[in-house]
Amino acid sequence: MKRWLKLAAGAAALTLATAGCAGSSGSDTAASSSGAPAQLSGTVTVWLMTGSAPATLTDALNKEFETAHPGVKVKYEVQQWDGIQQKLTTALAGGTPPDVIEIGNTQTAAFASQDGVLTDLSGDKDSFNGGQWLKGLADSGTYDGKTYGVPFYAANREVIYRKDMFEQAGVTKPPTSNDEWIDAIGKLKTKFGSDPDFQALYMPGQNWYALLSFIWDNGGDIAKADGKNYKATLDTPEAKAGLDFYKKLVDTSGTKAPKDADEAKPQQATVYGAGKVAMMIGLPWELATAAKTDPSLTAKTGAFAIPSKTAGQSAPVFLGGSNLAIPANSKNVAAAKEYIKLLSSAKYQSQLAAAGVVPGTSTDLTGLDKDPLGSVMAKASANGKAVPASPKWGDVESGQNPVKDMLTAYLTGKKTLDQATADANAALNKLIGG
Amino acid sequence: MRKSLPQRIALSVVGVVVALLILFPTYWMFVTSLRTPGEILSPKYDLIPTSFSFGNFATALGKDNFPTYLMNSLIVTVGSVLCALVAGTLAAIPLSRLRFTGRKGFLVLVMVAQLAPVSALFIPLFLLMRDAGLLNTLPSLLLIYFATTLPFTVWMLYGFVNGIPYELEEAAMIDGCSQTGAFRRVTLPLLGPGLVTTSVFSFITAWNEYLFALVFIQDKPKETLPVWLASFRTAFATDWGGVMAASVIYAVPALIFFLLVQRKLVSGATAGAVKG
Amino acid sequence: MTATANVTMPAGATPPASPRDPGVKRRRRGRFGDRVLPYLLLLPALAAILVLLAWPLVQVLAISFRKLDIGQLVSGKTIWIGFDNYTNTLADPEFWTITVRTLVFTAAIVAATILGGLLLAILMRHLDPVVRIIVQVTLVLAWATPVIATTTVFQWIFDQQYGILNKTLDRLGFHGFIGFSWFSSGPSTLTVIGLLIVWQAVPFVTFSLYAGIIGVSREQYEAAGIDGASAWQTFRAVTWPAIRPITTMVTFLSVLWDFNAFAQIWAIREGGPDGGSTTLAVVLYLKGIAGNHFGAAGAIATLMLIVLALITGRYIQLLVRTPEGDLK
Repeated sequence: MKRWLKLAAGAAALTLATAGCAGSSGSDTAASSSGAPAQLSGTVTVWLMTGSAPATLTDALNKEFETAHPGVKVKYEVQQWDGIQQKLTTALAGGTPPDVIEIGNTQTAAFASQDGVLTDLSGDKDSFNGGQWLKGLADSGTYDGKTYGVPFYAANREVIYRKDMFEQAGVTKPPTSNDEWIDAIGKLKTKFGSDPDFQALYMPGQNWYALLSFIWDNGGDIAKADGKNYKATLDTPEAKAGLDFYKKLVDTSGTKAPKDADEAKPQQATVYGAGKVAMMIGLPWELATAAKTDPSLTAKTGAFAIPSKTAGQSAPVFLGGSNLAIPANSKNVAAAKEYIKLLSSAKYQSQLAAAGVVPGTSTDLTGLDKDPLGSVMAKASANGKAVPASPKWGDVESGQNPVKDMLTAYLTGKKTLDQATADANAALNKLIGG
Repeated sequence: MRKSLPQRIALSVVGVVVALLILFPTYWMFVTSLRTPGEILSPKYDLIPTSFSFGNFATALGKDNFPTYLMNSLIVTVGSVLCALVAGTLAAIPLSRLRFTGRKGFLVLVMVAQLAPVSALFIPLFLLMRDAGLLNTLPSLLLIYFATTLPFTVWMLYGFVNGIPYELEEAAMIDGCSQTGAFRRVTLPLLGPGLVTTSVFSFITAWNEYLFALVFIQDKPKETLPVWLASFRTAFATDWGGVMAASVIYAVPALIFFLLVQRKLVSGATAGAVKG
Repeated sequence: MTATANVTMPAGATPPASPRDPGVKRRRRGRFGDRVLPYLLLLPALAAILVLLAWPLVQVLAISFRKLDIGQLVSGKTIWIGFDNYTNTLADPEFWTITVRTLVFTAAIVAATILGGLLLAILMRHLDPVVRIIVQVTLVLAWATPVIATTTVFQWIFDQQYGILNKTLDRLGFHGFIGFSWFSSGPSTLTVIGLLIVWQAVPFVTFSLYAGIIGVSREQYEAAGIDGASAWQTFRAVTWPAIRPITTMVTFLSVLWDFNAFAQIWAIREGGPDGGSTTLAVVLYLKGIAGNHFGAAGAIATLMLIVLALITGRYIQLLVRTPEGDLK
């Protein structure tokens, strides 16, 4: 966590430095440009989200870009997640929109589906390293056959576990199937169960990304494309099997996590940091948050991919991440494309990997290998999937997600499996259907 | 109404207990800001902290360009409070003391203007500021905060002026004061508590506003403190200890503002007693 | 009369009034300057309210008959769709349930806020200065604490596993509260949210009413005290008439704010569980703002405005019908 804070602080400092030069853009700098082949000029305003790319990366990137295009200034600004949608919406409608923006992958379709909001980048895929795009992300950036979003980076969940506890409980190797996983939980409980605060698996009731994995693993999905529209498929036997496995995990582990909240309420990494939790399903960098409490956890923690019901495989995982896009009314599309081109190049993609995320436009994941948690994530990302690329999907995640309500209703016993899935299916259809 | 000593002690005890109850959530915020992450969610019984760490405060103050944000926030907030008080007082006088056509229409307008949820006004206000070329400037925020606190200010001051007997002004005028002079020397001092209450209200409203502060301002050096506060949350993790430390720091200017004007609240009271 | 510091009235801001004859009681329609004076004084406030509040409000109304998604916002295209936004909103069978819930919730927290504020204001009047300042400072702290902190702190206090409340209740012998979830049902969640909103709203009400109470002269109280009146009689006869206008006003304002309250409700459980703590303001965000459907947002906002106008209508009516004698 500290690392990320430092990065953010560095990025912000850099922002201030570059913003200071922003005023002196335009024709005077254009006049001084000479060697650049495209004769680009003006200012490129780049909005990336806080925590996305480390400052060392953007620092070098912006410098290289300005050197390669002497007529262009980069105005790089880090944005906050809170309220980003309103900020993006208004910025795109404002007189001076940013030229390169980062959009969350589940939000991209909402922007791309509207005429004249984002620039169609279908013709530029090759210059953005199109052959190596991460499929799950590329899907989310495509609408109606056209490309509007260039994959930026992704991350997916894995099981983060205490190697020392596993060893003491006699679990010799990380589970590679659901049965082994349940088995490991049993052994951990036998060994540590006498401690009332111990939890073999921290599993809040609304970790719906984990549920997605289980549903996909059982061959189901949350929704199916039906022409341009989507139809919810939560009431299928496959989806029900996924939900059942979720309940099995919660019941066998006897987790004390709230059944009516997700992994952020309370922040699960902090709970893990207290040292009484043997496993949690999370993202690699959650370990850094936990290590702020107890630095010794870094050495004691390992990760394994979310197991599958089929032994030896791992379950498909949800790819969370972002795309890069160019607003349609950007004043500097040519320079913006050059900027994305440079960011998509192998050099910066490998830096992204080294920073601990799955790069969007490069299949070279060696940067992630040095970190044990990162390499597990990288391997699992090959089996990464995206949520339906429906323009209305944002409505599902913006709050009151029916999948979350379904989980709570079933786990607390308020509804039966059939009733919970039927209700959620209807609610989801109301949001994304038709 | 002299009270006996036991009565005073009993009242003081009640007062302190009430104060403690009101204080508790703020106390909890403060205590959390002194905790390490592991202590925030602890199974132990931790009503009273046993160890203190000031790391969160160091993180918070070292983050970004705190002084710049503080300055911007102060400009926007104090500016809008002053504007609202001046315009509000000017409006409250004729509303309360004079009869003229359109008076009730104005009062209704003031009321109706407050009915709408601000989140719905956000798009029209954005378009307005865009067309006026005020986006990305501090005055755009100043104007919004001024306007959103104004109806309340007008109305409260209208109520307070109404509560001050006109006879006092008349007496002053008989003594040879002009009408303006009578208002300034008699009514305005009595208005002290009302002005303090409304200014504290306006200050806190403007100080805490996030949505417009986020959307209207695009350049980092022009951003205000609420945006700074939001920057402790990233997509990956929230540094809650940092958020709490930042929130403690954040609440300090409002507290200072209150302590500065609080004396006025008391002097207004004594002024009232002298004149009553 | 001693001159008190005059901080808020800038010199020269008030147009000079003509000297009056002693003994003139009311303004008379007289000279031109006198007739223009009220309008001149009103001008700054009127201009600000018209341009920055009334005009956007009219636009919200207009937008409610349009399809205004991000595409239209960027392109500037205007698409009129009649009453579609309204029929869509009203077609949802949940809408009326949510409206009733919002009204009940608003009524409950307004009542709690006003009652709490009134009691505190009266208590403050009777306190020794030092204790009074302590109470005032705690109130200001509660008021000034940013919402991001208060919503989080409340969630921690009420956390089922680690919350200090459950741990304390357990220590006091109520062991049933170990692992008790305060957010498992809509009413329970709304109670916690209500507590949070009341806690942050009480300071404003208290200060407003306290300002009104200390405006009552000491002689009036002493006169009442000499007559051997009880505390309740003193309140009824002296305090209440003095603070009634302000109480009505803060009640009205509390109704507006609490009816439109959003940040706290959203931050605690996003209107959950299962929509159980959803109010109209949450619907406005969820159906309108979050998905960039600003036309729908306009329609929901207009409907909310109508509901609010209906419940506050009587107060507005009273104000309009107030006889001219209301002027002091």
